[in-house]
Amino acid sequence: MSFRWDIIVEYAPFLLKGTLLTIGLSVSSILIGTFLGLLIGLGKIMQNKALAFPFYCYVTVFRGTPLLVQIFLIHFGIVPLFTGETNAVAAGVIALSLNAAAYIAEIFRAGIQSIDKGQMEGSRSLGLTHTQTMIHVVLPQAFKRMIPPLGNEFIVLLKDSSLLCVIAAPELMYWGKAMGSQYFKVWEPYLACAFIYLFLTLILSFVLNRLERRLKTG
Amino acid sequence: MLKKVSFLMFAMLSLLLILTGCGKDKEVSTAGKEEESDGKTLRIVTDANYAPFEFLEGDKVVGFDIDFITAVAKEAGYEPKVESIGWDPIFVEIESKRADVAVSAITVNDERKQTYDFSVPYFLSTNKILVPEKSDIKSGNELKGKVIAVQTGTTGQAAVEKLLGKNNKNIKKFENNNLAIQELLKGGAAAVVADNTVVEEYVKNNPDQKLKVVEDSKAFKEEFYGLMFPKGSELKPEFDKAVNAVYENGKYAEIYKEWFGTDPDLETLKAQQ
Repeated sequence: MSFRWDIIVEYAPFLLKGTLLTIGLSVSSILIGTFLGLLIGLGKIMQNKALAFPFYCYVTVFRGTPLLVQIFLIHFGIVPLFTGETNAVAAGVIALSLNAAAYIAEIFRAGIQSIDKGQMEGSRSLGLTHTQTMIHVVLPQAFKRMIPPLGNEFIVLLKDSSLLCVIAAPELMYWGKAMGSQYFKVWEPYLACAFIYLFLTLILSFVLNRLERRLKTG
Repeated sequence: MLKKVSFLMFAMLSLLLILTGCGKDKEVSTAGKEEESDGKTLRIVTDANYAPFEFLEGDKVVGFDIDFITAVAKEAGYEPKVESIGWDPIFVEIESKRADVAVSAITVNDERKQTYDFSVPYFLSTNKILVPEKSDIKSGNELKGKVIAVQTGTTGQAAVEKLLGKNNKNIKKFENNNLAIQELLKGGAAAVVADNTVVEEYVKNNPDQKLKVVEDSKAFKEEFYGLMFPKGSELKPEFDKAVNAVYENGKYAEIYKEWFGTDPDLETLKAQQ
């Protein structure tokens, strides 16, 4: 079986377009997911158990059901409910960010709880409020510890965006599949996709490494 | 100590679960072997996502194609073992000769003939357009500029690409027709183009969805389904003979009537040979 470079060349513009959408989907979902994750993580560690309960449920549901199932539900169920039509890109961003938020919430919770209690007590005794302590003392320290697990989550999210091909979001994997089913080939489309995904995750880990080194103290 | 025991139990339990997964396969193949008095078992692959041709009833693959291939294989002296593996994988498995025959409402066309061998045609079909009842689309040409959902890799996709241009961004390609039709129902596409039997069957079975079928014999040509073999397969001549035998002895008409409620147009099919 010969490797057909010509079909990769033919599909190169589509793979490139798909790659750009994959980057767009991933970056926006990372940003939205991190923001939501922070809120949910903080919600989950609230002293008041009744207030923390909804956040607890959120994490249970989104971490406890497969992303693929969430994608179908959001694309064919939730998005059309509001707009009257489907929109694969919107559904993709929503599904990826909501799913990632559940994991990121747990990362935030672990990060915050890993900071010694003495820090909170010390800064409270210096006259800072609970919120002030959170923002100026606990979170900056916790954030440093959270970078490696957050990096993991971002990389997982980028790779999971490939699942969106099932709802015909024209991202990288969608074009890989289109190429595969036109020529009934396996190696050419999926190896090309694999290399592009690997390249993207390498860039992402490089950026995260730099960030980690930059924030390193002591 | 207790920890070790529970870990061992857990490991054994997971092993057991994996084994039950394998076990099913074996059961089927041994069952096949017992009846193997008259011939060897063939691995027949399909994509059971295409009612009424092939679909799942519980965990059993059923449909017109399945009854047909069973009759033909028996006629040729083989024991069929049908397996649903998905649409794209069919072509990969046949090309690499890991499966003997594919039956999955596969249209015979020149592009596919380059890589595969096909039996004599066994079914006549045309692509038709599925639209909401209120839609004003009346022909293939009116699909231009609209968003169309298709099953990826089908002749429906090829027909739409001929009209709209290859890889046009208005063509949404889905894993199967059910998802494509879902997209139409939820307002993400103006039409679905697929084989007539599938769309007609869908409209018949789902009157509450308010869909209709549009025919355009100018834009969409007649197509014929064939059984697909690896290139150079020795089974092809045997199966050609068996297909004709099934035409002659009335078995084909019987199966056709059971699934579609009408008599088949055998003359057109035979004229294609």
